[in-house]
Amino acid sequence: MTPALAQFAGSLLRASTWRLALRGLGRQPRRSGVVLSAVAIGLGSLLLAMAIQYGLVAQMAEIAIRSEIGDLQVHASAWKDSAPLAERIAEARSLAALAREQTLIGVAPRLRGEALAQSPRASVGVRVLGVDPVREPRVTSLASLVREGAWLAAPPRRALVSRVLVGGGLARRLRSTVGDKIVLAVQDAHGDLTSEAVRVGGVLEAPTRELDESVVVMSLADAQRLYGVPGEISELALAARERSALEAPRAAALAALGSGVRVETWREREPMLSTMIEVFDQMGWIIYAAIFVGMAFGIANVLLMSVLERTREIGVLLAIGMPPARMVAIVIAESTVLVMVGVALGFALGFGGIYALRDGIDLGSWGDGLRAYGIPTKLMPIARSGDVTAPLIVAGVTALIASLWPALRAVRTRPAEALRRA
Amino acid sequence: MATLQAEKVSKRYAVRGIETWALQGVTLAIEPGEFIALAGPSGSGKTTLLNLFGALDAPTSGAVSLDGQDLALLSRSQLAALRLAKLGFVFQAFNLIPVLSARENVEFVMELQGSPAAERRERALAVLGEVGLAELADKRPLEMSGGQQQRVAIARAIASSPRVVLADEPTANLDSVTAGKLIDLMERLNRERGVTFLFSTHDPRVIERARRVVRLRDGSVVADERDVPAS
Repeated sequence: MTPALAQFAGSLLRASTWRLALRGLGRQPRRSGVVLSAVAIGLGSLLLAMAIQYGLVAQMAEIAIRSEIGDLQVHASAWKDSAPLAERIAEARSLAALAREQTLIGVAPRLRGEALAQSPRASVGVRVLGVDPVREPRVTSLASLVREGAWLAAPPRRALVSRVLVGGGLARRLRSTVGDKIVLAVQDAHGDLTSEAVRVGGVLEAPTRELDESVVVMSLADAQRLYGVPGEISELALAARERSALEAPRAAALAALGSGVRVETWREREPMLSTMIEVFDQMGWIIYAAIFVGMAFGIANVLLMSVLERTREIGVLLAIGMPPARMVAIVIAESTVLVMVGVALGFALGFGGIYALRDGIDLGSWGDGLRAYGIPTKLMPIARSGDVTAPLIVAGVTALIASLWPALRAVRTRPAEALRRA
Repeated sequence: MATLQAEKVSKRYAVRGIETWALQGVTLAIEPGEFIALAGPSGSGKTTLLNLFGALDAPTSGAVSLDGQDLALLSRSQLAALRLAKLGFVFQAFNLIPVLSARENVEFVMELQGSPAAERRERALAVLGEVGLAELADKRPLEMSGGQQQRVAIARAIASSPRVVLADEPTANLDSVTAGKLIDLMERLNRERGVTFLFSTHDPRVIERARRVVRLRDGSVVADERDVPAS
């Protein structure tokens, strides 16, 4: 460390440097107040806006995961979304293999297929989702979405006529309600056309348009019988103990199930949503940096005005022997006080706003439109740890950059010239 | 060896393309313990010479040395360190730091020198007591009269135990009674502490109190009157 740098670092640690900085700022309280307000209001608004936006994306991901996807999914290696029945895995063996996996808190076997749903009044092409009535609620919130009727009965309490659940949108399209019979016409796994009359046992309040208008949920056993694949499933939906660390359960599932399957995280199943979250994380830094770069000009302007107004005083300080490094430290301290007090007030405003909106922002009046895109109708602002660290780091850099020019201006003051000024 | 030495020093200023010689070939030696006045009308070069002796400015030609050290050979930081260690300043317009109290103003120089907090606080109060301002230690400059501010400035100048105190027109903004008291104070500090005082003035009542008077006119020394008896 050079002597000047050591002197500068030592100066920053001196209480008198900060005392001079604070009192210097106090000389023009209105001007300092305007800068503080700009930093505080700017950061506070930004924090709130970021929390709302992140809340939106995070809730969209939560909806996708909790309504259908799960944290991880297991399929046969060659399985495709477009032909869900073509590649299957053995139900009992898969469940047994994962039964003791500690990184998982739920394993839900499913059978996926396609069907034509017919009521006496309409016909609609649908996706069939066969689920285990007991295991499914440990992975997704499908069971809690039942608005009318009841969740699927667990075996052996099956009715003679299979019961199915449909979204409110599909019920409207079929013009059917709870208790009505509909017919599901399918091509089974062997290529044969077959159909079965089922009864609408419940209507779901689905959070996405897909689930609302195009999906019929039935018990796994009924679906296996309908498609002629007893003991076989299309996929396993898995709930991990920790969603933030999915690599461990993925590896464990792969090891337990052996070759012939692939395990995908929800991010791989919903790449667009995943990308949105990743982009949002990066955008946070960029937005904070952009805002603070703008603020840096304002802060530099205020500090420069302050330095120019005090030319004579700075001349005196340099004349009595203040080292140039100490002068730089005082200007940087002024900048740091301005920015950090502004950031503290901004945190108070921003997090205060987030707390005030902790019960969520009701977007119910746009409910149908929002559901089409899997957007929640009650928006919960979510603050992240990055909302504290990013502004602090960016603000620290801003304080430094904003003070460089004024500090250089101060340190270049020639004492004799400064003292000549009236 | 002279404490301060100017050897054929000239200083030229250029303002809007017009060159002015503020000093021309000045040679002057200041001995330890002197109480010396630079006298002369406005524009005679008094402040310029003080600034050169105070390492606040550099001569256009010639050499200035302090305790035998040629100031031209030192960097900005080294000059600052030298001012801090060996020089005290008193300015015409007092020039105290307005956001610091009298005590803090005096302490500040000692803090720059690295004195421990308790020691510098005690010494600041003692020096303020010496200039008769102990009871105003916690007042800020704007709460004091001109004479009081100038006494704080002197306290600040001597608190760091300098070899030389350079005072530029220290009584110019004071009434005659206050100016007289200030000169009394400077004289006492010179006598009791042995601090060299070099001050510029054009006030005849102040000039007559100096034991050596160097008269300047148009940037040149026109008289150097030694052994002027102290009043």
